[in-house]
Amino acid sequence: MTIVLNTLEEGAVSEQIGTLVKDDMEVVNTSGMKIAHCMGCNQCWLKTPGVCAIKDDYEGIIKRLVGAENLWLVSDTRFGFVDWRGKRVMDRIVPMLNMYIEFRDGLERHELRYHPLNFGLLYKGEADQEFLEEWSQRVASNLGGQSLGVIKMKEGEPCI
Amino acid sequence: MHIVIINGSPRVQKYSNTDTIIQSFGKGLQESGSTYELYSLSNRKEWDAACDAFLANEQIIFALPLYVECVPSIMLEFLETLPIKRQQSAQISFILHGGFDEGHQLRLCERFLQSLPAQFGCTYGGCLIQGGSFLIRMRDDEKMKKAMDQKLDGYTKMGQSFASHGNFMTTEARKFTGPEKNPWFVHLLFRLFIKRLVRKNFEHFAQQWGCTRPLDDKPYLRLEIKR
Repeated sequence: MTIVLNTLEEGAVSEQIGTLVKDDMEVVNTSGMKIAHCMGCNQCWLKTPGVCAIKDDYEGIIKRLVGAENLWLVSDTRFGFVDWRGKRVMDRIVPMLNMYIEFRDGLERHELRYHPLNFGLLYKGEADQEFLEEWSQRVASNLGGQSLGVIKMKEGEPCI
Repeated sequence: MHIVIINGSPRVQKYSNTDTIIQSFGKGLQESGSTYELYSLSNRKEWDAACDAFLANEQIIFALPLYVECVPSIMLEFLETLPIKRQQSAQISFILHGGFDEGHQLRLCERFLQSLPAQFGCTYGGCLIQGGSFLIRMRDDEKMKKAMDQKLDGYTKMGQSFASHGNFMTTEARKFTGPEKNPWFVHLLFRLFIKRLVRKNFEHFAQQWGCTRPLDDKPYLRLEIKR
């Protein structure tokens, strides 16, 4: 199962995503959803393990991720990086890990709460491709998975 | 020298490790005759004033924790509200910290921060980097207190250093980070002894917070099985 988190404001994702995903796919349009910034309270690690203290629409996303192997982020960009809307849905992913620490890929990492998750990025606009590739690699490594790639959206494509 | 410090952490000021770091750093600035004003992005009511201060001053420091390998989303949102054109140039420097102690973990975010000032017509004043800050919040614990006081004293010294050099492009700022990666024998020691100790510590904290579930609980998997 692949979850596509589409954070583009217009709420429409390019057909391109269909060519990138080979298995079952569920697109979640987050633009109309109520999603707060992670506030770093640590409750999902130390007080209610695996459950975020913020009660908003992100809980449904976590539940979907628990049943998924792949995660694609569709995001606009700013300052050469994903914009705050794209980063916001990634910052809230913390309950997918737990507090315990191990060494993975030669680095300190938090243990996976569930299973490995692969990560890919489809981005809109002008950004630093090389930087996004390294970011994507590191995010995937944190989630115990592989990077599925960093793809720039083709301009002017029909939307689904 | 007068410095505007913006705390880019989303965590409320009272519990913010970044705030604790800023207070220690600010102490060093003041001891050396500099002054500073502080804005915290966790409080939306401070955003307008932070923006005004950003535009009206020539020395700006963003202090931030590492969130998912880069800048916290709340700080990215604030940066989008800032005008990219300004009357007089300024220098933007950064204090970047994170939970893990390896410098390597913070380098990608550093690269992003390096690229930021130019996008606002400003110059880059360097980035002060140190990990291992998770325990700052737990420094009431007697065992942790000494190590954490030492860590915070380090930030006070860096405040003094910034007041005299005007940036973080110094050897002492570079050395402040400590080891880039843990050597192989630390990995070995971790597997043999430290891992169990660290786990126990975390469980102790959780208990204090009133946690009643195991830390590696899988709450949503339970829901799936029930279904």
